[in-house]
Order: sequence, then C-alpha cells, then structure tokens
Amino acid sequence: METEVQSESEASLIEALKRRDSTAYQKAVRDYSPGMLAVARFYLDHSSAEEVVQDCWVTVIDAVQKFEGRSGLKTWLHRIVANRCKNRLRAANREVATDFSETLEPELANRFNSTGRWDLPPKLQFHESADTLLENGALSDCLDKHLSSLPETQRSALMLYEAHQHKSDDVCNILDVSASNLRVLLHRARQKIFLMVETFQETGEC
Amino acid sequence: MLMCRDLAEIASDYIDGELNGRQNLSVKIHLMMCKDCRTFIGNLRASSNLLSAHSSGKADEEFLRRIDERVAEALSVRKNNGSDSE
Repeated sequence: METEVQSESEASLIEALKRRDSTAYQKAVRDYSPGMLAVARFYLDHSSAEEVVQDCWVTVIDAVQKFEGRSGLKTWLHRIVANRCKNRLRAANREVATDFSETLEPELANRFNSTGRWDLPPKLQFHESADTLLENGALSDCLDKHLSSLPETQRSALMLYEAHQHKSDDVCNILDVSASNLRVLLHRARQKIFLMVETFQETGEC
Repeated sequence: MLMCRDLAEIASDYIDGELNGRQNLSVKIHLMMCKDCRTFIGNLRASSNLLSAHSSGKADEEFLRRIDERVAEALSVRKNNGSDSE
C-alpha cells in the first residue's frame, strides 16, 4: 500500500503545479485523470463524470496553492472529485443505489450444496504471478471487457483499492461508503474477476 | 464449524487481513483440511493481484486533450490577470 508520505517526484510536481507550469499540468492530467474518472463514475454517468473531472482540473489550478500535503496528491484530487460529484447528486436529489445485501455472486453461490460444501469446486489453479497471466494479451483484453461491465460502484471501489492502491479508509471516505459495505463491493467485484479468469483458463474464451 | 460456503463469503476479508483472530484461525484450520478452498483462496488472491498489476484504468486521449485545453485556457486567463485567484 502506498503511504501518504510524498515522494520527491510528487513534491516537485506539486511545486510545479503551484507555479502553474503547463507541462506539469499535462503530466498530472495523464497520471491522475484515470483515477479521478473512476471516482466520478461511482456517482455519475459517463459524460457527467468526464465533465466533473474537467471542471476539477480547473479548480485545482487555484486550490493547489493552498495544498499543504497532509494527504497525498492523489487522495486530495480524488476527494475534490468526490465532493463535487456529491454536490451534484444532492442538487439533483439523487443517491447512488447499491445492493449490499449479498456477499456471494449468484454464480458462485450456486456452486455449493445445501450443506455448504463445494458442489463445483474450482478445478484449475491460477498462475500466481499476475505479470505472467497478463502476458496473455487475450486475457488482458478480457479483463478490460469484464471490468467495464462491472456495476460502477463495484468497479470504482475495485479500481481505487486494487489499481490505485488507496487504503480502505480513503476509499470509504472518497466513495462515502461504510467499511463493511466497501468489503462487500470489493468481494463481489473480485469474485466476478475470479469467475472470468476461471472461464478463460478452462475454455480459452472470454 | 466453518463450511466452504462460509469461507467463500469472507475470503476477501481473509486475503486483506481484515478478519479478527478467531475468524482468521477458523479459516486457517479449514484451509488445512480442504484442498478445494485452498485452490479457491489462491485463485481469488491471484485475481486480486491481477487487478493490481493491470492498468489502473485508461482515459482516452481525446478526453485528456479536452482537459489540456481547458487547463491551458484557465492558466492563460490567470497569467493575463496576474493574480493567484480567479
């Protein structure tokens, strides 16, 4: 997990953003926008989410002057996006609808018998090294496809936690979910990816 | 006694070290006895590692260019105004 301590490169990027260096903005936009978009997509549809991320970057130009580095730059940017999205939803009187009632994906739940033992246990053992798995371009494409079809709430939680390596507390704060609900979101999303990789390994098909 | 289905329900919590000592111990005992669940936990962990290693989400270049344009415009307005705030 990444710590909140700023690296030297992050500190110099922040200084450059404060100086309003346009090259620094171009780099920051490329480094941080995917994560910001993942946060916004938790709350909003695709085009509204893109709009919010664009607006946030304009806000950042002034707001970064007061950035004191109490959190990392990434966490700070993600919070700005989340707050803006929450304001939008409040203005529209909408809330994010999420089902936290089931911890098991139906497809996995059906693989146990009535005594709670496996009826259809996992047959193959996945290769442990992620890098080795990802060398298979078709699997990587399949992963992209499945990630994009996850419910936005699960995808955002998964992206922030796994890919952008936020701590649980930060993800809860940014997405405004309780710790127990975050656990459900993450577990449901991981199960879907597990089922996808399993099918891919067994059949070679996505 | 912890059944396979119970373990599957809390598998991510186990992987992330979020279980309390007692729950953690019952998972470990179950895993010692159950090959299927060992495979399941290993595969779920591999899926999690796969996600961490996979690209952390891509934004399309057109979208990034639109942001660049908005930022460049906002920077030039501030430069012309010569002030730190809008």
